[in-house]
Amino acid sequence: MHRYPRWPIHLALLAISIAMLVPFYWVLKTSVTGENIFSYPPSLIPHAPHPFYYVDVWYYIPFARYFLNSVAVSVLTVAANVTLNAMAGYALTRDFAGRRVVLMLFLSCMMVPFQATIIPAYLITGRLGLLDSYLGLALPQCSTIVCIFVFKASFEAVPSALADAARIDGLSDWGIIWRIMLPLSKAAVATNVILSFIWSWNNFLWPLIVTRSADMQTLPLGLARFLSYQEDTTGALYAFCIMVLAPGILLFLLAQKEFIEGLAAGATKG
Amino acid sequence: MIWCLLAPSLAIFLAYRVLPLAWNVVLSFEDWSPLHPARWIGWDNYDEMLFDDDVFWQALWNTLLFMASAPIAIAMALGLALLVNADIRGRDVYRTIVFLSYPLMTVAVAIIWRWMFDERVGLINYVARSLGLVDRPIEFLNSFDWALPSVIVANIWQTLGFYMIVLLTGLQSIPPELREAAAIDGAGAVRRFWAITMPLLRPAVFLCFVIGMLNSFTSFDLVYVMTGGGPGRATELLVTYIYKLGFAQTRFDYAAAVTVFFFALLISVTAVANRLSGDDAGAMRAD
Repeated sequence: MHRYPRWPIHLALLAISIAMLVPFYWVLKTSVTGENIFSYPPSLIPHAPHPFYYVDVWYYIPFARYFLNSVAVSVLTVAANVTLNAMAGYALTRDFAGRRVVLMLFLSCMMVPFQATIIPAYLITGRLGLLDSYLGLALPQCSTIVCIFVFKASFEAVPSALADAARIDGLSDWGIIWRIMLPLSKAAVATNVILSFIWSWNNFLWPLIVTRSADMQTLPLGLARFLSYQEDTTGALYAFCIMVLAPGILLFLLAQKEFIEGLAAGATKG
Repeated sequence: MIWCLLAPSLAIFLAYRVLPLAWNVVLSFEDWSPLHPARWIGWDNYDEMLFDDDVFWQALWNTLLFMASAPIAIAMALGLALLVNADIRGRDVYRTIVFLSYPLMTVAVAIIWRWMFDERVGLINYVARSLGLVDRPIEFLNSFDWALPSVIVANIWQTLGFYMIVLLTGLQSIPPELREAAAIDGAGAVRRFWAITMPLLRPAVFLCFVIGMLNSFTSFDLVYVMTGGGPGRATELLVTYIYKLGFAQTRFDYAAAVTVFFFALLISVTAVANRLSGDDAGAMRAD
């Protein structure tokens, strides 16, 4: 099938790629020059780039604090997701009374966007006494249905003879999950880690609702707050943007395959 | 033992999915705020919403417009998916570039696009003025006519890659023999596309529609940071309105009523889409 010429396809894809990348370039350029802010016409190529706006970020806002908070919440979320999803995923590979009901419940819960639950979720978290705490920030995301199904599919592919043999040797369900299932499901673990990390790292609405003190704010909140203080008057805002985006982009480029496969498996945000 | 393994996840879903839905319904029939005890008021909140609240109707209309942009994005993504499905060099690089914006933090994406749409030095105004399309810069995000389309453009930029991946997965599941057989029988490229590719791609396309609808209900971060719902209420979506009612005006009861409406709308639109697709979207999701 080599009958059609390739160059029009390349040309079209090149044009689209440029259109997709230009916004990144524009912000990156502003973050190292700041010149667009004060001059018209904006220059397309950066003149005299400098890193000072990246330094400014540390003085304008408690960047380290926001970063620490984001990391703490994300680590909590990722650890909980891998553990709880593996447990639930394993349970769903077993036969037990009520399995169909649980499956139906999970599938229905997938239809409930988090945005439709914010008012009661806030009230519930308040009753639990978890407002303005790391656990409160992480809790609603501590288990994700999509990721449970990723584990379930992966565990089902493990030969059942292995688990049966282990059970005869006296290994508990807990032991089977940790000693047999998880070591044989590296791709599923990677998918769980990446998806739950990205969802937690990027989450804005929930931290906006549950945090009270400036000390508990995460990076997205810090970014929005910085915008409201400074408007678009300093290149530091864009330096901040780049600093926040970089970990996500890096992680995505490193683990693209797991990320896309996980999304394709779930196809909706859990 | 099995139930012990399920318990933590079940507890989280019951507490943060099932219970909130029920609580919303109860709350929506009450007059309640954290400051005074609840009083049952029947349909009063819904009465106010439907007959006495212009902002609600504006937010609903904007949400529907936002939803109506999904087919445009999906058509663009379909074209892209066909292009990157071609047997060409570097197609993985193209796929990565198009998908790159999807996993990014939406707050940052909103700031990037504020900057692109800036009236003085934004790239879009600069290009438009350089080409002589406009004589004076357009204040995109402060204009009643332009604000919503601008937000939608940013949204399409971010979600295009995701639609593309879903459609690409669909394309790759079509056995190539089908198209080859049709080619041997003398069907041209256009005919093959409409007679073979499109019908077999239907589940993936409908899945995209469902995702697009969900998207119009959940794009809180983008709107909140790009425009805050303004100017006026020009970009207010139901989701931003619910947030403001609840957490800026402390009207939890009324916000609950709007949420119940919002969720019922979401479920019915999804059910209709699923029915239209011959229950295909659900089948694909369960895979």
